[in-house]
Amino acid sequence: MTDAFLEVRGATKDFPGVRALDDVSMRLEPGQIHALLGENGAGKSTLIKILTGVYQPDSGEVRLYGERQRFQTPRDAIAAGIGVVHQERNLINRFSVGENILLENLPTKSGLVDYAAIFEQAQPWLDALDLHVDPRTPVLQLSAAQMQLVEIAKALSLQTKILLMDEPTGSITPHETEVLFNLLRKLRDDGVSIVFVSHKLEEVFALCDRVTVLRDGRNACESRPLAGLRRADIVKLMIGRDEQIGRFGEKVIHRDRPALVLQGVATGRGHRDINLTLNKGEIVGLYGLIGSGRTELAKAIIGAERLTAGHIEVSGRRANIRNVTEALRRYRIGYVSEDRKREGLILIHTVLRNVGITIWDRVARVLGFTTERIESASALPYIKRLEVRTPSVHQTVGNLSGGNQQKVSVAKWLAAEAEILIIDEPTIGIDIKTKTYLHELIWGLAADGAAILLISSDMPEMIALADRIVVMNDFAVVGEVQNTRDYDEVSHRIMAHIHDPSEDAVPAPTAAAAIA
Amino acid sequence: MTNHRRPVAILFSSNQFGLLLVVIGFVLAFTFGTQGFASKFNLFTLGRVVAIDVMIGYAMMVVLVTGGLNLAVGAIGVASVMFGGWLMEVVGLHPLIAVPVTIGFGASLGWINGYASVRSGVHSFIITLATMSIFFGAMIVLTGAQPFRALPQEFIQFGKMRVFGIVSPLLFVTLAVTVLLVYVFSYSSFGRKILAAGASPAAAELSGVPVGRMFIYGHAISGALACVAGLMLTMRNGAALPSMAGQLGADWLLPSFLAPVLGGTLLTGGVVSVIGTLLGAVLVTIINNGLLLLQIGEFWVQMFLGLILLAAVVLDRLRSVLAERRRATA
Repeated sequence: MTDAFLEVRGATKDFPGVRALDDVSMRLEPGQIHALLGENGAGKSTLIKILTGVYQPDSGEVRLYGERQRFQTPRDAIAAGIGVVHQERNLINRFSVGENILLENLPTKSGLVDYAAIFEQAQPWLDALDLHVDPRTPVLQLSAAQMQLVEIAKALSLQTKILLMDEPTGSITPHETEVLFNLLRKLRDDGVSIVFVSHKLEEVFALCDRVTVLRDGRNACESRPLAGLRRADIVKLMIGRDEQIGRFGEKVIHRDRPALVLQGVATGRGHRDINLTLNKGEIVGLYGLIGSGRTELAKAIIGAERLTAGHIEVSGRRANIRNVTEALRRYRIGYVSEDRKREGLILIHTVLRNVGITIWDRVARVLGFTTERIESASALPYIKRLEVRTPSVHQTVGNLSGGNQQKVSVAKWLAAEAEILIIDEPTIGIDIKTKTYLHELIWGLAADGAAILLISSDMPEMIALADRIVVMNDFAVVGEVQNTRDYDEVSHRIMAHIHDPSEDAVPAPTAAAAIA
Repeated sequence: MTNHRRPVAILFSSNQFGLLLVVIGFVLAFTFGTQGFASKFNLFTLGRVVAIDVMIGYAMMVVLVTGGLNLAVGAIGVASVMFGGWLMEVVGLHPLIAVPVTIGFGASLGWINGYASVRSGVHSFIITLATMSIFFGAMIVLTGAQPFRALPQEFIQFGKMRVFGIVSPLLFVTLAVTVLLVYVFSYSSFGRKILAAGASPAAAELSGVPVGRMFIYGHAISGALACVAGLMLTMRNGAALPSMAGQLGADWLLPSFLAPVLGGTLLTGGVVSVIGTLLGAVLVTIINNGLLLLQIGEFWVQMFLGLILLAAVVLDRLRSVLAERRRATA
């Protein structure tokens, strides 16, 4: 057997109180796209960090072209020819796109940074990813998706033979994903080896050749060919049991009782003539590419953005929602933010405070008197109902896992007794078990009579949950698709609306087509 | 106090307990190491100073919890006291009327800080840096830098009274405010909202907390507390002096930061410890007093207090780094 490009043998890594990796191996061959899979906390990111010199293994070894390596810092790994896109953003906000891409080796002219050269050299990488931004733009003006693409461009620009990608598609759209995949396939054909970490199994099957699955810090399978494995097999390897496919119960949509109606709504952000009806008991999906104005529309509904035209009706009555407080108190509209850490939760406060925030005024006695007991009485049932796994309600939310954090950010709106719930990207970066659970929960809320507007870029999620899917593009509604739960058909029709709004239901060869 | 389970548990787990031990340590050291620390007269004086310094600390604390700063605490304190002196001496209002009106005036100066900061979106550091000069300058112009020395006796008397020979009634005022603040931050919906707004404005806003209003309230309360501190100092001095907090009121800045930071209030907002601030101020006052009794020069004391602030901030940083590390491995 020839030497692998990059190999990990028996890597073990301990953190205080927890063994993150236990005797893990993985073997990366030339010209392969190798999927690294596992639930949250299975050790994927730890392994990536060992491969890139962020962490040093306690035992075991990393071999590059058969030679043992000891990366002390990330710079060592880069110097050895390993490029990486980390899960977290590592861009310098105030710098331009071009500077960020070429940060590792900035072109200079007589000792000074040569800006003209930067922008010239950065451009091809942007083109390769079909990212239409000027390399002079400061990164902080970009959307989350664009930042992720810049991060990828940065790794590509190093032109390494080995490329590690930790959740590179977390916040980009199917179209951008497809462009990226084509590029990765081309790199593979040129002999580059790629490690690809993702929660989206559809992507893994569309792209990868081999797979290593981690479970609880150990190998559940090692460097196995993907051919012949089914989705269910992979899931079983990841969670150690069969997946329960999202089969939800029956629910009634009260079409005669619209909970939320948008009529000709326009906003300062650029929305125009938006019409939308959301009935009691219904889950309406709002689908669109990143930057199509979905989140901004949600914020306009809850009064965080101003309407410039049109109006909103809540339960059949004209509503003038001036701020979020009013949306919550008077109209019972809640918004579960896509940005859990910044907008959804107060990370330094306790679970109880985070759930209680929407109900303090309601439960308070004379002079605003509230105790933790009063707070708990109203909040605890929801914390229990959502099975938030926490040592106590006094635990700081920042210490919980992503899935449990998301449960907390949903729980507070249940506590608020919201009748209309706007849920924005509920399962980004959340493992399969919790994802299934959240799906059941969202369905259950609608079955109990809530009206739910679901914003998601996760097509399978959309098709599993939504009753109807409203398609947005460029701050306007471009179509509506009845969900028949037939994945291929529905996804084709959705993408058709986005790419050619004038024609209905003509399948275009898009991302959706490539996702099995 | 954001985590209050059983009182005993908090006492021992918190850094307030550590602070209490440090305070006791210094008290013992100065009692045995200096002449006159535990004398009746010194204890009385010390009590008056503590009462005022704690109040100054609170005035900064209520803005720190919102993630802001109030550099104008001293300027507001002096400006409103000069207004109060004018009300009593020139207008001739009875203290029972003049004092509430003066506190209202202090609150409105604070309100201006909050409103300007929220409306303009400029950090309160810049806003209060500006208003510090504006308030102080306006006060000097309007009063011609002349003190009010003929204040009503019933007002002045309050600062001179002794209960049981050593306790100043000013301490009772501070105690009452302490109880009120503990109530607000631990047992009221308002306090919870102000902490939520300070910890994460975006998340609080999207959860229905009127964040801007909370920030303004924080500044207004700060103004009121600064004014109360000023009034107490006036009672002690027996006159309303334009110079009582130094040029621009800057003499109050160091103690105002020291108390809450030593006490564990986060500079980034969202976490408060009222009792910690109280202990922090007590510690600073005792050190100040003890070092002066040891006849170490005033400037040495200033330097020492500056060092303590720096150490406290480093400690604060260390605490959050440790918390972060525990989270990373959880």
